[in-house]
Amino acid sequence: MVILRAGLCPGLTAEMIQLLKANSIATVVDLVSSDLEEVARKCCLSYKALVAVRRVLLAQFSAFPVNGADLYEELKSSTAILSTGSKSLDKLLDSGLYTGEVTELTGAPGSGKTQVCLSIAVSTSHDLKQNVLYVDSTGGFMASRLLQLAQTRTGDEEEQVEALQRIQVARVFDVYKMLDVLQELRCSVSQQVLSSSGPVKVLVVDSVSAVICPLLGGRQAEGLALMMQLARELKTLARELSMAVVVTNHVTRDGSSGHLKPALGRSWSFVPSTRVLLESRESTWGQASTRRIASLTKSPRQPTGIEVELDIGSCGVLEESPAASGEGR
Amino acid sequence: MCDEWAVGAAAAAGPGPHPLLSAMSDGFRKAESGTQLLARLEGRSSLKNLEPCLFADEGFPIHGDVVEFHGPEGTGKTEMLYYLIARCVLPKSGGGLEVEVMFIDTDYHFDMLRLVTILEHRLSQSTEEMIKQCLGRLFLVNCNSSTQLLLTLYSLENKFCAHPSLCIVILDSISAFYWIDRSNGGESFNIQEMNLKRCAEFLEKLVREHHLVLFATTQTIMQKSSNSTESSIPLKLHCEADVEYRPYLCKSWQQMVTHRIFFSKQCNFSSSKAFSIVSCHTKKKHVIKCSFSVAECGVQF
Repeated sequence: MVILRAGLCPGLTAEMIQLLKANSIATVVDLVSSDLEEVARKCCLSYKALVAVRRVLLAQFSAFPVNGADLYEELKSSTAILSTGSKSLDKLLDSGLYTGEVTELTGAPGSGKTQVCLSIAVSTSHDLKQNVLYVDSTGGFMASRLLQLAQTRTGDEEEQVEALQRIQVARVFDVYKMLDVLQELRCSVSQQVLSSSGPVKVLVVDSVSAVICPLLGGRQAEGLALMMQLARELKTLARELSMAVVVTNHVTRDGSSGHLKPALGRSWSFVPSTRVLLESRESTWGQASTRRIASLTKSPRQPTGIEVELDIGSCGVLEESPAASGEGR
Repeated sequence: MCDEWAVGAAAAAGPGPHPLLSAMSDGFRKAESGTQLLARLEGRSSLKNLEPCLFADEGFPIHGDVVEFHGPEGTGKTEMLYYLIARCVLPKSGGGLEVEVMFIDTDYHFDMLRLVTILEHRLSQSTEEMIKQCLGRLFLVNCNSSTQLLLTLYSLENKFCAHPSLCIVILDSISAFYWIDRSNGGESFNIQEMNLKRCAEFLEKLVREHHLVLFATTQTIMQKSSNSTESSIPLKLHCEADVEYRPYLCKSWQQMVTHRIFFSKQCNFSSSKAFSIVSCHTKKKHVIKCSFSVAECGVQF
């Protein structure tokens, strides 16, 4: 809701604003939606001036339509598919994480969501040499684990340090701080503050439900509004800055059918374009195992229901390092 | 004429204009520009054969129709929109209608690469040129808030005059700002719904004046209350099918919808079609049921 004020656009003078205010036209929307002939008559302003101001305000505050062919050209050059470091996970995601989209990892506690996130971070920073921003809201992030994963990729200490330097970590414990961090990221990119190896390509948020769940419940809409605002920020970052966004979420049991469904409710369920459910498989010996089943529950490109097996052992979900064989990705 | 009064009155919130003076100046305001006249007389292209399964009663949308796609997540609404876009922008030789489409995206949902995959499957020889030509008939706008949506609709008015072959508007989705608007509006329902109400009224004006067809998706974000009378009564009036529908958007929107199509996942695993739709005509109470599945080439009936 933008309030009219002097200098908002050329031609909008303080006297004009006073006269408009006297006739209850205080915001941009009021001015644009009112009948300009009438306003010109009642406020004794020039019709032409009002039409010019209206045109400028519309140009300033409305969105511009883009032709499909132009958008396609742009997307062809800016969209990238980032491998996650694990061939089976890549297969599930149709060759990897797509920039411009939000991918959600859901699962019960202990199902391996954080391990997958850490693996993705190391794979992106070491194999793909891209920057990562890791937003941790659970306290489950451990730099030592990152180092351990980096050491499985390369024995060279300098390379390990470089890989870790490309991962920025932000620890947040409430939604306002999270929104701050995301907005700071947007500002730093728009002001073209680039770090040594380029802009952030992967944003990992572990986890979204930890900051949103305390806000939900009760009859106020504020919690839901904050959740939708966070969703909007994440999607805007993904689309406009060509990042791949990975978020993690808990699961709850559906009341009627008993199936597992992602937490945070119906409104959130529309936000991610891809959703992967992680479950542990009972080991035959009845002991805790490092094997997990990842199944695709929502995808814009693939049929749902595909399952792959992951092993979150000492290498996270990363596979044998291709560095030895000299393969690039 | 009445609509302009309504909009003017809502904005000015002061004493209404003198009827006689307005009537006189209305005559002047009503004079169309040359392009508007041409656009109106040339007529928008016919949308016959768009998709019979979707439209109860006539089998195809008539200009001025407002179609609402309603359903929970993962039920194929977006895929159906891609199917419709493909049908519209493909050249007549490829089985399309060669009309232009305006796509208003409110939650960054639109996946261009998916649309291109669908177009490639539908065209017999899909060269880069042909794809670009088809995509040239599609216009996309992204809106960040209900205020920006309203202002964007105002500025799009010119586009409809200038492009007579632009006859379909898709709004995905109109319920995206629901919670944010409710929180911004404080305690008063009127203020909460104000932006959406204005958008709905302006959309109705656009659709009527420029002979468009509007498709809008709304998300099922409310649970159907089990024993409330307020939700079951409107349901019985226009639809005998048992669908999970709890209206939550403003009245202006609900009243302007002419076709309401409910999307759901099939529960019985015996059928090969994974999704089903129930299409209701809100005024004439006709109902059509249909099922479809989604493959790599898009929706298949």
